[in-house]
Amino acid sequence: MPSRAPAAEMRTFLRRLPLALAGAVVLWALARPIYTRALCATAQFLARVAEVPPASAVVPQGSDALLGRTDMRADSGWLKFPLTQIHFNFVPFLALALALPHPLAGRGWRRLLAALAILAAAHSLALLFQLKFLEAFSMGPWSQANYSDLARNVYGSLRYFFDIPVTFALPLLLWIGTYPQQVFALVGLGSPVRR
Amino acid sequence: MVTALKAFLATPAGRFVGIYALVLSLSFLVLALRPVNDQIVNPYTTLVAHEARLVLNLFGERATVSKQVLSSPRFSVAIFNGCNGLEAILIFVSGVVAFPAPWRRKVAGIVLGFLAIQVFNVVRVVSLFYVGIFRPQWFSVSHIFVWQSLVIVFSVVLWLGWVRTYALAGARR
Repeated sequence: MPSRAPAAEMRTFLRRLPLALAGAVVLWALARPIYTRALCATAQFLARVAEVPPASAVVPQGSDALLGRTDMRADSGWLKFPLTQIHFNFVPFLALALALPHPLAGRGWRRLLAALAILAAAHSLALLFQLKFLEAFSMGPWSQANYSDLARNVYGSLRYFFDIPVTFALPLLLWIGTYPQQVFALVGLGSPVRR
Repeated sequence: MVTALKAFLATPAGRFVGIYALVLSLSFLVLALRPVNDQIVNPYTTLVAHEARLVLNLFGERATVSKQVLSSPRFSVAIFNGCNGLEAILIFVSGVVAFPAPWRRKVAGIVLGFLAIQVFNVVRVVSLFYVGIFRPQWFSVSHIFVWQSLVIVFSVVLWLGWVRTYALAGARR
């Protein structure tokens, strides 16, 4: 049974949401330069793990990444990809998390860090699959010679999956998964969180 | 890890998250199929473009639509997947379907939520159109960062509103 208390929790949540959104934007803007480099390095590492010779490249360039291969001419087949498209979902996730009552209390810190780690892993995979998609589809005869039809379908599907469903749905899933007690109290299916 | 996941999925929150993820994955999978894309997604995106055209023309833009491209003498924008509001609709609808509530309330929530997201998305397209006209250097950040973040937050707030004011209304009485 829903209690009356969650209505107050909900009002507090909605009042805090714009402020939390602004705070999330500031955190995102501060972290973005370092995060962009880390994201590119991770995606490149993952791409090269099973690659002989290791030539896949993800080069940070401002807020974008240059995707390509070092064993090809500098002007052939490189793609400039906007990284904001991948990691903007930090902002809605952080905003939703920070708008909850006491999101960092107790084990909240650890849960938040775990959720951010999952989000970062999803970003790395999203960038990796953008690179693999580029290699599988857009490098002409090289793509034809090195990727089978099956591989092209797999990378095309993974790219789509990480580009749209994961990007848009993960913030909400992580929000509920990280703070189930608070979120369910908010909607009236649990006890309100103690202040 | 597996035990913890099983324990989480056995809770009401875990069941919701599990069903939500499943419904959402399936619906995005269906949308990715070429016949669905050609027969449903593209016409829907064209409809969104026409809705935005109607609003723009109220402001005297003399906008036209060709397939998924919205144009006026001053600016032109193509509406792709990810910009047509379907992702927000799926986030909302999956949340409604996964939540334990009577089906009548779910159907009503889906219809009302769909309409609300339509309105929100038209505001997004129109505002981006004007950003493109007056501040083209801000278009990319507005398009990807500002509006996509707002779309996610809006879907969640809409879902929370549905749960509190409608889905649980029966339980409250």
